[in-house]
Amino acid sequence: MWRIALKGIFGRKARLVLTSLAVILGTAFLSGTAVFSATLNQTFDNLFSDVFRNVDSYVRSTQVIEADFGQQERQRIPVELVDVVKQVPGVADVQADIQAFARIIGKDGKPLGSEGKGPPTFGGVGQKFKGALWSISKGHFAAGPTEVVLDEASVKAGKFALNDTVKVVAQSGSREFTLVGIASYGDVRSPGGATFALFDLATAQEFLAKPGFIDNILVSGDGSLSDVDLAKAITAAIPGTFKTETLTGAQITKETQDEIGTALSFFGILLSVFSYIALGVGSFVIYNVFSISAAQRQRENALLRAIGASKKQVTRAMLIESVVVGLFGSTVGLIAGIGLSKVLSALLKAASIDLPSGGLVVPRSAILNTIVIGLIVTVASAWLPARRAGKVPPLAAMRETAIEFVALSRRRTIFGLFLIALGAVSIVAVTNGASKTLLGFGILFFFSGTITLGPVIARPVALLLGKPAEKFRGVTGTMARQNSARNPKRTSRTAAPVLIGVALVTAVAALAASISSQIDGVFTQQFKGDYAISTTARGFGGLSPSLADDINVMPQVQRATGIGRLTVKIDDKGQFLTTINPATVEGVFDIGLISGSYADLTADTIFVSQKYANNHATKLGDTIQVTLADAQIKTLKIAGIYIYDELAGKYTVSRDLIKDSSVISFDLGVYIKLKPGVSDKSARSELQAAVDKYGQGTLLSKREYIDSQSGSINTLLGLIYGLLFLSVIIAVVGIIITLLLSVFERQREIGLLRAVGMTKAQVRTTVRWESVITSLIGAVVGIVLGVGLGWVIVYALRDQGLSSFSVPVGSTVSILIMAFIIGVLAAVYPAWRATRVNLLDAITTA
Amino acid sequence: MNNPSVTFPPPVASTDSAAARATNVSKIYGHDDSEVRALDNVTVQFEKGKFTAIMGPSGSGKSTLMHCMAGLDEMTEGSATIAGIDIASLKDKDLTKLRRDKIGFVFQAFNLVPTLTADENIRLPLLLGNNKGNEEWIQKVINTVHLQDRLSHRPSELSGGQQQRVAVARALASEPAIIFADEPTGNLDSTTGNEILSFMRKAVDELGQTIVMVTHDPVSASYADRIVFLKDGKIAGELLEPTPELVLDYMKQLGH
Repeated sequence: MWRIALKGIFGRKARLVLTSLAVILGTAFLSGTAVFSATLNQTFDNLFSDVFRNVDSYVRSTQVIEADFGQQERQRIPVELVDVVKQVPGVADVQADIQAFARIIGKDGKPLGSEGKGPPTFGGVGQKFKGALWSISKGHFAAGPTEVVLDEASVKAGKFALNDTVKVVAQSGSREFTLVGIASYGDVRSPGGATFALFDLATAQEFLAKPGFIDNILVSGDGSLSDVDLAKAITAAIPGTFKTETLTGAQITKETQDEIGTALSFFGILLSVFSYIALGVGSFVIYNVFSISAAQRQRENALLRAIGASKKQVTRAMLIESVVVGLFGSTVGLIAGIGLSKVLSALLKAASIDLPSGGLVVPRSAILNTIVIGLIVTVASAWLPARRAGKVPPLAAMRETAIEFVALSRRRTIFGLFLIALGAVSIVAVTNGASKTLLGFGILFFFSGTITLGPVIARPVALLLGKPAEKFRGVTGTMARQNSARNPKRTSRTAAPVLIGVALVTAVAALAASISSQIDGVFTQQFKGDYAISTTARGFGGLSPSLADDINVMPQVQRATGIGRLTVKIDDKGQFLTTINPATVEGVFDIGLISGSYADLTADTIFVSQKYANNHATKLGDTIQVTLADAQIKTLKIAGIYIYDELAGKYTVSRDLIKDSSVISFDLGVYIKLKPGVSDKSARSELQAAVDKYGQGTLLSKREYIDSQSGSINTLLGLIYGLLFLSVIIAVVGIIITLLLSVFERQREIGLLRAVGMTKAQVRTTVRWESVITSLIGAVVGIVLGVGLGWVIVYALRDQGLSSFSVPVGSTVSILIMAFIIGVLAAVYPAWRATRVNLLDAITTA
Repeated sequence: MNNPSVTFPPPVASTDSAAARATNVSKIYGHDDSEVRALDNVTVQFEKGKFTAIMGPSGSGKSTLMHCMAGLDEMTEGSATIAGIDIASLKDKDLTKLRRDKIGFVFQAFNLVPTLTADENIRLPLLLGNNKGNEEWIQKVINTVHLQDRLSHRPSELSGGQQQRVAVARALASEPAIIFADEPTGNLDSTTGNEILSFMRKAVDELGQTIVMVTHDPVSASYADRIVFLKDGKIAGELLEPTPELVLDYMKQLGH
């Protein structure tokens, strides 16, 4: 049987290639994402071991606040510790280090780097230090309050030259400096695309952080002590009241690498989830190809059976073929994946994320994983078709043409409906209070039920969707319509990958639409002003609080208020507080205060949401203990309760709370109400001028602002769409393969049609419309499922404050258009092949 | 794309007494030593309104002649005309339209498109040309082959004889200049076969059609007005007003 199987495979190379194509694509994404993640990891590992190569010890505060979303805020340490550390025997050199937000404004007035989305924009201390990461390639270190050093890439991007004036924006506002030096780092112009503005120590503290405080101390030893002993000596020298710790160079390197590794692993998991989805979609294509190929070889297999091969042997021959295809496809896929990872890196580079040059890392696990999973998926997908091949009655050898079994068993219908019913029951049960894990099962039941019913519904749906083709394309349309309905099993298997892709896209779109409309509603309710200044910087940097103050005193402005966010510890857990300016917030930004007044909000009081008050049985006058990032403990009295907690969250405080601490806060938005009678036009240009002075934030009208906020989900959406694109590619390839095999199978029919007068263009039309109809079947059913899935997800997120479900009408329409285009594109090659059918061969072979 | 008004060369067609003619046609496969002359300098014409049979042993080139004259295959040398139109000069697109509008085909097997109904199959050449056709004529054709009550059936629901009747009706539907039939009864039992041949005879006698049929069966051939014999790619003789006995005698003479 091995010989027959192998001969069968290599006798038909075209079929081998087609069958392998699905395996190749599926495994290429698998290995590509694995190799890319590994390479990225390695790159950053190398980067950070370089950063800390000459750092022997690292001193920092032990006080950390960890809040949701993995945000971390570490307390600053007093600058006087620098001198303490310097005195420790064994220490050769120290550097006080600050890592803070600083945005460089280019010569054209535009800030460098993209706000919030791109790599961070750092401000720090640049001074002569033995273990320094930077070296000055031109000019000298900054000295005094008016000098700055920039990294080489920023100098280039901002079109600066030495001695130019450079505007830099930081938390304390914007300021102009003289460029006195250019710093460069190893072989890259700037690590990871970040921008750096370096100042002398005093300026950095005062401009970037708070006077008297720094982030950490880098220590370079004189070689007399080991790193471990040096760290011990430093720890011993710093009084315990400062709450600091000293890490060795190796420790801080490892910690930073691990942190980046964790951040990257999220990305890596995301990538691999979608590559597994793509592989799952691919398995449908593999299954389909094996089924069609088994059907087309029905006579051959029947002949084998007739001359004495057992069922088992026929099945085994086909499984052997799947093993060969699996191995071949996975191996090619592995190699293609390595190429794919290069493409991903190139894309990053194109997005101006300049990574240090590092070698490609192909982990052994990726190789093994790709081959093994590729093989398993292929053989598993071939299992059913192989068994079916064995069941071919020997008599089939005498039959004229290959016919796939199209008998639609009642069992299938019942089983499919049963699964769907099960799904419906699970979902209804959850809406009645059952555990939410049932939702997942419900969705799974719905999907598998639909796929099971596929062959049953494919014919009616194909005939329905094919109606317009028949109407507009005459007899070619009729044939396309009938062709897409003539083999419902094949059509449904071809449409299934499209269905899955479309369902996922639709669900994500539905979720996004719901979130958008929710955000829209919330802002419309709470934002009472005319203009807003937004910043997309989240977690790192934002708008200087003085921006709101500046605008508040403009003659056209009735009121301008800034809203910010602060990370603190409450009950030993990281929490976000919303910071407002109680003097200006009223009438501009409404948090729905139902008791207390804004005048009551001082440095010693706090507002809480009604939900919080109810959950914790607290009332006005109770107190909450808050630990600031600098370890100051504040006991705040509850002075008000509000109802709009979608934006403000559980706690709202006055921005005065941190006036006397080393903690700094940014505003995330400034909201502006104009004086009555002020024309929008004149006000806007004046406001714009004020914003430009800071070089930060975007001035938007109320409508623009709300649209931009509700559209903020689109970035995430773009990423998910991009990843789902992998599945779409496989679905398209699936259609192409199926069409090719169908065209091959219908050679005689096509020959006959050509003989009686069908033009090549008409042949192409027929194939094209069959493809479009098949693609649309997947899209239409996928949209129905996807909307349902989206509803379920939105429902599951009800507790997270998502209350309304929106059907993504726009996305749905574009998906349908896309499906149409996909159908047309997928048909190009098969349609061309169909016109190449040899007319005489087709009509003369009896 | 479905342009029904094809512009063919000037209609010398109407003055030509032949529906189709071949002049010095040769068809050569292979090169040099392995050269095979399937057709060797054949000149023949098929008159309008006549039923002609082409006979000959297998390998004599009878099917090849038909394929070349019907524009299904390219000839190596010579020229052929259908209704006065020189088919050698036509590009694929125009050749396709010529087959659609001027030629009817009946093949031995696999004549019908399985996804279309009998009615759609009959009108297929017209539908492909976006041409309504002559409804009165089509009804006449359908009546002639007795298919009135089978029109909505698909080929899989029709018997072999019914399928061939649909094929004959399709060949007639567009009132073509000529119909080529390649062993149209080869897959049928003799009763059904004779029925089909009678329909073809009727199409010539009553509907004034021109039919050229390739066959190796003397009985089938005897339905024709004239038989052209082929041997080794050459015309070997002709017989007018044949009967099966005459055909057999003639074939013996030819050493068949």
